[in-house]
Amino acid sequence: MKLIAGVDIGNSTTEVCIGDLQPDGSIRFLSSASRMTTGTKGTEPNVLGIKSALEEAMDKIGRPISEISLARLNEAAPVIGDTAMETITETIITESSMIGHNPSTPAGAGQAVGTLIFLEDLETGLEKVPYLVAASERHSYEEIAETLNRYHKTLDICGVILQADEAVLVENRLDFRVPIVDEVRHISSIPAGKLAAIEVALPGQSVRMLSNPYGIATLLGLDAKETRAVTPIAKSLIGKRSAVVIRTPHGNVREQVLPAGEIHFYGEKKLRVNIDAGAEKIMETLEDAGEISDIGGQENTNVGNMLAGIKKGMAEVSKEPEESIKITDILAVDTLAPVEISGSLAGETCMEKAVGIAAMVKTKQLPMERIADRMKRELGIYTTVAGVEAVMASLGALTTPGTTLPIAILDMGGGSTDAAIIHADGRVKTTHQAGAGELVTLLIQTELGLRSRITAEQIKKYPLAKVESLFHMRLENGAMEFFPESIDPRYFGHVVLLAPEELLKIEEDLPMEKICAVRREAKKKVFVCNALRALREVAPEHDLKQIPNVVLVGGSAEDFEVPEMLTEALADYRIVCGRGNIRSQEGPRNAVATGLVLSYRG
Amino acid sequence: MAAHRPSIFIYTAKADPDYLKEICAGIEEEGIFYEISEFAELDLDTLAYEAASESILGSGIGIAGKRIALQMRMLPKGRNVCELHAPTFAQCRSLGANSARAVKKMPFKELYGGRELRTAK
Repeated sequence: MKLIAGVDIGNSTTEVCIGDLQPDGSIRFLSSASRMTTGTKGTEPNVLGIKSALEEAMDKIGRPISEISLARLNEAAPVIGDTAMETITETIITESSMIGHNPSTPAGAGQAVGTLIFLEDLETGLEKVPYLVAASERHSYEEIAETLNRYHKTLDICGVILQADEAVLVENRLDFRVPIVDEVRHISSIPAGKLAAIEVALPGQSVRMLSNPYGIATLLGLDAKETRAVTPIAKSLIGKRSAVVIRTPHGNVREQVLPAGEIHFYGEKKLRVNIDAGAEKIMETLEDAGEISDIGGQENTNVGNMLAGIKKGMAEVSKEPEESIKITDILAVDTLAPVEISGSLAGETCMEKAVGIAAMVKTKQLPMERIADRMKRELGIYTTVAGVEAVMASLGALTTPGTTLPIAILDMGGGSTDAAIIHADGRVKTTHQAGAGELVTLLIQTELGLRSRITAEQIKKYPLAKVESLFHMRLENGAMEFFPESIDPRYFGHVVLLAPEELLKIEEDLPMEKICAVRREAKKKVFVCNALRALREVAPEHDLKQIPNVVLVGGSAEDFEVPEMLTEALADYRIVCGRGNIRSQEGPRNAVATGLVLSYRG
Repeated sequence: MAAHRPSIFIYTAKADPDYLKEICAGIEEEGIFYEISEFAELDLDTLAYEAASESILGSGIGIAGKRIALQMRMLPKGRNVCELHAPTFAQCRSLGANSARAVKKMPFKELYGGRELRTAK
């Protein structure tokens, strides 16, 4: 009886399995376990996680870990990935000159033009001058309505701007009908005495006049030059339910195109591409450049800083000098990010163009030997570093029923997408590409404007539902699910994530359809695109059709929709592709650990 | 009884008038009608339960003095959606808004201003 442990340290999880070497040289698998990786992959703190994983696995078969005769560690791929996001346009308001937002209950409908005046200054108002009245939340809705009704007899009041959420309450008490915008947070920043236009959209519609440059020109009497200047205002008001545009002599909203800069590829050919050209062009240029030795950015530009930041972070993780860090692959993805406009009055956001980049850095071999030494010392287990990760993963993947050589594996984890192919004669080809799960998380977070990265991570992992009553929810596929007991009312009306055993509430007010679309799009942009890129790289003559079967392993293979997306995409090339099922029981997990034990047989 | 327009029912037993006014304002801002009836002899849970059961919209509020409960039809008596005891005016306003949002199927406003909130278990 000889127990052999396979240990696979990944970026996020450490997986182990225990095999029993039989007298005839075959291996019988007894148990497996997985734990969070402790510390950065490839560093000594990993031992802690390895120990608890081994203990769990040995516990399952009722043995102490001292009975393990040999542990085999993976030789981790010497690549680490990182992601960054940079907006390439920016909208700035100088002197507050617009309000555009979506209060839940504005009142009245239509548009009006008038001079801004605060409620308390109405006595200074002049006859026959149209006024837009701004009222802070110090005044109660009754006081506001009463005051407005009184002054309406002498003054021309054509619209109201409120700080509190009381538009309907005020409207119901007015003797006259005007558009009312509420929930304007920074009402004291409104410049009194300036001409402004206000608009509240009809129910179910969005503003029409103020989201049109000529509409603003009509209402505020602008000339051609001024109209050009207000175009960014109109653009940022598209889709809003209510809006105020204030005409300030020096005030301005401008869209600034930041100097985004160029990406420099140092490959077989030296090529450069401006980031404005978009993700597609960037990826084309990358391909044209051939084998890449390093990628950098133009100095003092956004992309330059971004790539420099990635290198700096990598240098810290790998403890190598910054100059020796080379980015060997990137994946660029176009995206839109809602960014709060600087100088806004009600927290308005504007969708800015942005580009997300995942970069991959080749490092020196990770110091796995040191981990092995420490395991010998601390756990008393004889440990060796054995086998290249991708090869081990392929060996493990071969235990999936229905597979045969030549076999390709696709391991999409958090930081990088790895592919390998093993031919019947034993030839192996492997590749590592930048961009995987973490870039998807980043895209989801940016496009939905989520405050927390954890929420984005959860959106990536779990399907959505909307709680429509205290007794049922509507799932994203349209099905209805009833609760056995009425649900906690805090979930009511919210979009939730169906995590195992619990519902996670999404705090942001976003429609389920939007979240769903963004999530699927992000996964397609990253996973499908990268899977094709990686497989083409390892395929004989770079021809995808020459790969008969692809087994998905690793974290992303457990995703609830990515494997189906890939199966669909690869079916076009007549490739059999599916989620692995290691040793007919582990699912896509544990491929490397299994391969490590199997390879002991020789 | 005359035909009712669809309303949220508020059943009261010697309700604090200021609280009642804030709750009504909360409902009104959300654009929904309400009706108030006095049942001096009923307790808080019964007030809320009956109000929700009898409202066409299935949303009801019970107020007994300074205690307020929000209830929705089909929930068992005593399992109120939320309860407030001597709350702030802002909390009353939010509770009123939530009774309307329950009808509109919109997420509730937070009313965790004080510790008075007790979610039904």
